[in-house]
Amino acid sequence: MLKKNQYAILLVLLIVGGCGEPPATGGSAPAKIYKHAMDGAPGSLDPAQAASIYANFLVVNLYDTLYRYKYLARPYELTPNLATAMPEVSADGLHLTIRIREGVYFNDDPAFKDGIGREVTAQDFVYSIKRHFDPDTRAQGAWLWQQKIEGLDQWKAEGSDHAQVVSGLRAVDDFTIQITLTRPFPQLVHTLTQGYAAIVAREAVEKYGQALSSHPVGSGPFRLLSRDSIRAVLTKNPEFRAEAFNLEAEGYDPETQGELGLAVLQNKVPPFVDQLEIEFITEDAARWNAFSANEIHFIKVPVSQFDTVLSQRDPLRLSPRFDGAYHFEAWPETGFIYLNFNMADERIGYHSDPLQNQRNHALRCAMIKAFDWKKRNEIFFYGIGQVFPGIIPTAVTEYDAGGSDAYIHRDLRAASEFLSANGWNSENLPVLDYGFPNSVTERQIFEQFRSFMMDIGYPADKIRPQIFATYGDYQRAYSQGKVTLINTSWTMDYPDMENIMQLYYGPNAAPGSNSASYRNPAYDRLYEASSALHESPQRTQIYREMNQLLMDDCVSISGISRTLLFLWDKKAIMKPDRSFVGGYFMRFVDLPEPSATP
Amino acid sequence: MTNTHIAATGLPFIVRRFLHGVSLMLGVTFVSFLLMVYFGPDKTYELLGKNPTSTQISEVRHTLGYDQPFLLRYGNYLKELLTLDLGLSDSTGEEVKSILTRTLPISIALVLPGFVLGNIIGLLLGMLAAWYRGRWLDKLLMSASVVGMSVSFLIIIIGLQILLCTPYGLNLFPVRGWQVHDLPSYLYYVTVPTLALLLVTLGYNTRFYRAVMVEEIDREHILTLKAYGTSPVELLFKHVLKNSLIPVITRIMFSVPFVLVSGSLLLESYFGIPGIGLVTFNAITSGDQPILKAVVGLTGLLFVLALMLTDILYSAVDPRVTRQ
Repeated sequence: MLKKNQYAILLVLLIVGGCGEPPATGGSAPAKIYKHAMDGAPGSLDPAQAASIYANFLVVNLYDTLYRYKYLARPYELTPNLATAMPEVSADGLHLTIRIREGVYFNDDPAFKDGIGREVTAQDFVYSIKRHFDPDTRAQGAWLWQQKIEGLDQWKAEGSDHAQVVSGLRAVDDFTIQITLTRPFPQLVHTLTQGYAAIVAREAVEKYGQALSSHPVGSGPFRLLSRDSIRAVLTKNPEFRAEAFNLEAEGYDPETQGELGLAVLQNKVPPFVDQLEIEFITEDAARWNAFSANEIHFIKVPVSQFDTVLSQRDPLRLSPRFDGAYHFEAWPETGFIYLNFNMADERIGYHSDPLQNQRNHALRCAMIKAFDWKKRNEIFFYGIGQVFPGIIPTAVTEYDAGGSDAYIHRDLRAASEFLSANGWNSENLPVLDYGFPNSVTERQIFEQFRSFMMDIGYPADKIRPQIFATYGDYQRAYSQGKVTLINTSWTMDYPDMENIMQLYYGPNAAPGSNSASYRNPAYDRLYEASSALHESPQRTQIYREMNQLLMDDCVSISGISRTLLFLWDKKAIMKPDRSFVGGYFMRFVDLPEPSATP
Repeated sequence: MTNTHIAATGLPFIVRRFLHGVSLMLGVTFVSFLLMVYFGPDKTYELLGKNPTSTQISEVRHTLGYDQPFLLRYGNYLKELLTLDLGLSDSTGEEVKSILTRTLPISIALVLPGFVLGNIIGLLLGMLAAWYRGRWLDKLLMSASVVGMSVSFLIIIIGLQILLCTPYGLNLFPVRGWQVHDLPSYLYYVTVPTLALLLVTLGYNTRFYRAVMVEEIDREHILTLKAYGTSPVELLFKHVLKNSLIPVITRIMFSVPFVLVSGSLLLESYFGIPGIGLVTFNAITSGDQPILKAVVGLTGLLFVLALMLTDILYSAVDPRVTRQ
């Protein structure tokens, strides 16, 4: 029998035994493990359901897409991935022919005959896109191709029978795809870079059904080793096609990217690391602590740590404390945050009585004038967000740097004049419901908005918070027109302003992405006229006109793009991206050989 | 105890408790399902793509089963619980059963040391404080308890992480993770969460157990034993503790379901531990009904089992309960 003091010693030994270096796993550890932190977790890993930035991040590493963006080129540039070249496009822009690489195989899986992955073919791509139009898939990407690919919507209307051929989406042979569009759609190739367009095997879909979302069977550079609510571990796909990395082809700029050490990657064959460990850490403090403890290589710095990380805001400068060990990048988000007026609500939007319609317009304009973007930026975006008038963010080429900023300039006198000239006073101002999903930050943002409005005499009790338990509930409410003031955001799906301009296109009204339910025939005409155009001065001019229409109609209090700060360990040779390159960059991440790691 | 005695008292009592438990389960599942359906989050819009049409909205609602009559859905729910065929998560597509079997053991392993130590140490400190009631040790322990109860769990977690897990402190343990395969790795990952749990629960436990013990110490038979010269240790453990077991058992037993299912949410979230608390939280915020239904069913079942077990333990420590 142990004596009392021996028990005490044993207890201390047990606790001490747990300290220090992580215990050995017992197996042979992979040579290079890149550890990445994301501030959210993916749901489904089925490409057809890769709606979130987090899901997309993983899906493009597990599956193949026809195209991707060049790793280093900014502005972003398309490049073939599984396709052998950019599409051959007919003169009228309606017919596209795409050839895909031969000798690319799906990962071995029991779904295949004898458990051995078969070759990826053009039929797989056709099947993968058709899945979005099959209600059984519960797919989320159909909007990308709806009414755009000949026969696809009809195929769905006729029962989504995969045995039936879609005239506009055909595999001419095993390695040639032919797409016929109903109208020119210059953004098509961009849509083929999305996780939604990743290629799945029919056998896997049929074997796993809905469970495919947790059992990916792809042909991407990595395979899924494990995944739970806090982490996904991906291991290098040894069968992934061997293509040497070419700096020039990836858009390398030695002047701006030279210090990242990327030159050593030239002619090496990606993926360079053996394993990816992607941590899903939603809590800012936990993410920061994990980064501080060197448990992860990369972090999107939480706003609460901006003061710790930065020594200067304008221009942004990294604190000397971090300068030696970390690379740093400030990245303007390709999207924006804005507040829509529900134009379908007669209290503030369109009204059948022309006079009231005019008064409502004046009220919206007054509220826009009363909004203080400077304070919003200072309090919630550390003063480094990019404020811009309307819906053309600073990060896109269509942004007019020399344009007027009157729309985002606070002018209380002008706001009050709008109100008084149109007969508005504190007695007759309408009660407005400001919607948001339940969170402390959202509540604070609401309170700030209300205080701005109180400055023009809007009674506090007439701007009511309308709080929803989840974002899904909030989305349902505003999609059904039950919210008057819709606080929302948009992240661009691809680097083309069309993706933003469609936010106010009439036919996209709620429940579509036009949550304001804005309807202006002039705007719609311009949108339709521009839809066949590639990025060009002509199209930029049209988009700026559309932006002006929105501002004249006072449809939205808009907007601000966040500036995100990335910090990563200098040992990791990479240029991270959270935007259009997104998860694709993971295949190009490299680390020193483990023996050389301190 | 003879067989006749069991037949006359124990068995009918257990059967009674079982039947009571079944009716309780039906009630719990019905009310919670009602709340889930009419007031719970709606997953439809999270599963829709951009620019959805009304047809697409109806299709998603149909695949989620939202368009079925309430009673049919409730009937299906009971069937799922009985057959343990809990379906697939609406978010990840993984089998709910496999999610539960993967995460529940992790949560148990995570909270068990803190739960056990928290109760044992709390009990001992409570007894000590009760014995020295009104004196400096009692005041010190009660003041420390109030401090422990007042500090936010979140602050304790973040503080311990900085202190024990980062280069700004001792850097002895990991901030996140759960790669447990043997005792040293278990201790490596569980120590800091356990300390956090201990710090946050010890105050509550100590105050509760002190109150229970004080009531018992004041009884006449304890005074008599003191007069006989019984040693304090014997007095506290053999007489005071034994006679206080009913409230002690009640507290411990009814903490078990809560601790297992939801009590570890913050720990799991901040320490990156893939347990059932985090899965439940994600299911609540995203409206993942298959997971929610399973967790609600499981929690109900645990409570009913705790109730039954508590009654049985009551009868073991105080036979008068069975006779009543």
